[in-house]
Amino acid sequence: MSLKAEKVPIKGFIETSFIDWKGHLSSVIFTGGCNFRCPYCHNSDLVLRPNELEDIPLDYIIKRLKKFKKWVNHIVITGGEPTIHKGLLELIEEIKSLGFNIKLDTNGSNPEMLKELAKRDLLDYIAMDIKGPLDRYSRWCGIEVDVEKIKESLRFILEGSIDYEFRMTVVPFFHKEKDVYETVKYIKTAKRFYIQEFKPRNTLNPSFMTIEPFSPDKIKEIKENVKRLFVLKDAVGVI
Amino acid sequence: METTDINLFVRTSEETISDWNREKIVNALIRETLIDEETANQISIEVEQTIRKAGVKMVTAPLIREIVNAKLIERGLETARKMHTRLGMPIYDVDSLILHPNKENANVPHGPEATNLTLAERIKKEYALLAVFSQDVADAHMNGDIHLHDLGFIDRPYCSGQSLEYIKRFGLNLPHSLSMAKPAKHPEVLFAHLVKFAAALQSNFAGAIGWDAINIFFAPYLEGMSDNDVKQLAQMLIFEFSQQAVARGGQAIFSDINLYWEIPKHFEKTPAIGPGGVYTGKTYGEYEKEAQRFVWKLFEVYKEGDGAGRPFFFPKPLVHITEKFFKTEGWQDFLYHICDVASDKGNTYFVFDRGETAKISECCRLSFKLEERDLKDAKEPWRMRYCALQNVSLNLPRIVYLAKGNDTRLFDLLTERFILAIRAHKEKRAFLEKLLALGENGPLSLLTMKQDDMPYLRFDIATHLIGMVGLNEMVQVHLGEELHESNRAMKFGLKVISHLNLLTNKIRESEKLKVVLEQTPAESTSYRFARLDLRYFSPTSGRIVKGDIASGEIYYTNSTHLNVHTPMNPIERVTNEGKFHPLIEAGSISHIWLGEAHPTKEAIADFVIKTFRYTTNDQIAFSPEFTTCNKCHRTSRGLSNTCSYCGSKDVDGITRITGYFTKISSWNKGKLGELKDRYRNEHYFGQERQVING
Repeated sequence: MSLKAEKVPIKGFIETSFIDWKGHLSSVIFTGGCNFRCPYCHNSDLVLRPNELEDIPLDYIIKRLKKFKKWVNHIVITGGEPTIHKGLLELIEEIKSLGFNIKLDTNGSNPEMLKELAKRDLLDYIAMDIKGPLDRYSRWCGIEVDVEKIKESLRFILEGSIDYEFRMTVVPFFHKEKDVYETVKYIKTAKRFYIQEFKPRNTLNPSFMTIEPFSPDKIKEIKENVKRLFVLKDAVGVI
Repeated sequence: METTDINLFVRTSEETISDWNREKIVNALIRETLIDEETANQISIEVEQTIRKAGVKMVTAPLIREIVNAKLIERGLETARKMHTRLGMPIYDVDSLILHPNKENANVPHGPEATNLTLAERIKKEYALLAVFSQDVADAHMNGDIHLHDLGFIDRPYCSGQSLEYIKRFGLNLPHSLSMAKPAKHPEVLFAHLVKFAAALQSNFAGAIGWDAINIFFAPYLEGMSDNDVKQLAQMLIFEFSQQAVARGGQAIFSDINLYWEIPKHFEKTPAIGPGGVYTGKTYGEYEKEAQRFVWKLFEVYKEGDGAGRPFFFPKPLVHITEKFFKTEGWQDFLYHICDVASDKGNTYFVFDRGETAKISECCRLSFKLEERDLKDAKEPWRMRYCALQNVSLNLPRIVYLAKGNDTRLFDLLTERFILAIRAHKEKRAFLEKLLALGENGPLSLLTMKQDDMPYLRFDIATHLIGMVGLNEMVQVHLGEELHESNRAMKFGLKVISHLNLLTNKIRESEKLKVVLEQTPAESTSYRFARLDLRYFSPTSGRIVKGDIASGEIYYTNSTHLNVHTPMNPIERVTNEGKFHPLIEAGSISHIWLGEAHPTKEAIADFVIKTFRYTTNDQIAFSPEFTTCNKCHRTSRGLSNTCSYCGSKDVDGITRITGYFTKISSWNKGKLGELKDRYRNEHYFGQERQVING
């Protein structure tokens, strides 16, 4: 038996979600801790104070997953940022071995981990956040970021065989409208890209709470403009 | 002294002013009550003296009548007093009624027609409680042991379900109408007949008017029409029904349309009636594609919403999900289509008809399993006319306040209340029988018309509904745990409903009375029961009623539903609520409140399929919330104080109240309390995936 790596701190669990994996009911597992500090993040406790949140025992989660298995056999691993934990491989391996499908949400900062997960055939779907144009990436993420890693993840996902989506949370004032279109340039061959609307609630940087979200008309306009930028016209979705 | 000596005038109810005439009192007493002439005479003399002493120059007829009633009471002539009672309303009440909206039923708009309806309802309600029901039944209603629904419509049956075939075959030939129309030749005309007939029915029934398999029966008229024309027809149908705000009391017709993707087995071999009311030579089984085209277009219209992007309130689309559904080509696309509407606008009701039973849904929750006779009727579907005569609900928490923890007492009381409800049914039944016996000259001539070999209303097979309110609170008082809190509580809840179910079977056998359980929508009843229990059973009830006591926004949980406030996995909600559904024959529903969340159609479809496969749940609906702007006439997701498009504060909130969508501003206090409490599954649908920890 191999020595188990450090256990992934699981800080949250949604038994049944209708939105986290398009096309399926899913269960969502939140890992604690994140290497980014996006000011508009609405899971700030998970990012800043993971140790103040109690761990949810994996045994409990597995028990619940098994209970609802005939209803829900798609599991989303999200964070925080799951790929900062070395134990992620073992965690996913364990769940995967029970016959569940796995989707991983990531910020793309750990391409090695993505590759290793893919090599072991542990992923059925990857959703990667792209925070804004890559030339100013640290600004979007609130912390110094190695953009080469992000690029590597993008390439890996775009060229790989695992199903995927990219998504971007658009924050008024923080992002200029043209930033959205610029971001798309990096992934214009992608088959799915979702724009997520920013909602000013529980933001990591409290001053972001005063930002008025876009009007529904503006969002619609942005989404329509974005659609035109993609190579695969039909494949682009928007939430 | 002769009466004419008094210099006194009487304002009569016939808008005249008469001289005082004591004889009129005597005549009225003898005509209306059973007392003897001597007593009547004596009373009239006393009344005259009383009025004389007051020294007034003018009295009103109602005042004289009340003075006479006071004299009857003094003599202990209670029966006579009742018979001599005057029905009416204080001027203060009429004033506020004319000025302010009615909150008992959110489907009633505010306007002169609505006021007429309410005024009439008030009198008929009093009439019902005094003259139709026995005192025991009336008292039980007044003190909140039971609730007799729609008392203001005492002279009508409760609800009605039928098919388009009746008007396709017989045209529109209503008693006492100015003209008769032969069977429609064109779809637009058939459609006009449908709406008019629905309006006519609505004025003869208290509640919902349901239409069976409407897309299938429309199908023979749609052959050769372009997709655009079919869409246009779908649009007309939905707009006409949702805008019929000129029907009874200014209300929209409470209409349900039952829809199928497949041709259900019982209609497969049925000969189809086409234009002109003649058989087309084909069976409905051969019209599958046309029927599908129509239902698809109907949902396109639902998806678009009305001119302001709001969901249509009526007609409510009930889609039947059966084994055959999943075997019918294109089911998956159609399921996504209706799930898209469910997520976006909320209209879709998913009705699960498992196994081989065929069902027809009638009103909010009322569905019928087709029995042998009905399946025979299915060959001639115009015969398929179903009706429930009345709905009586039991106040379940009340029973446990009285049983004080004693199981035997609890079930005894439950049986007692049930029997009282049956008495109420028999009394209403006898009353309606009397009205129907007047035939075409009577008030219910529409229901007695005989276009085939039987009256429109098939009285012999009419159903009587028994509803229940607050099972959750009943169990909470009795065991100290709510239904969702333990297996023990759940089991006890099931035992209570099983007992009621057993009682309905017994009555059906012993009395030949078709009695079935129904989940009462209880739009105002859950509030009324909670309020009355708070008055009579404090402090216990104060700890039990849901909502906010300080603001008076209190309620009991509807029927057998689980606590609406408790965060709960929707899978567990539909599974556990569904355990009650097989015991409630007239149909049940589970609500999944969405708030502002917008789940994907695929996930909803996944959930719907699994609810069909893995639970015994009868029916589910997803309910989003909307804010619609009265300035810019646009609608956005979620409840908000301002319009997200133009920022105006002149907005209305919209969501499902019980079985239908409506503006929140029209809700009663109990429902407002429930709305605040509703758990909107934000942990399951919410875009902000807040961590749930522990």
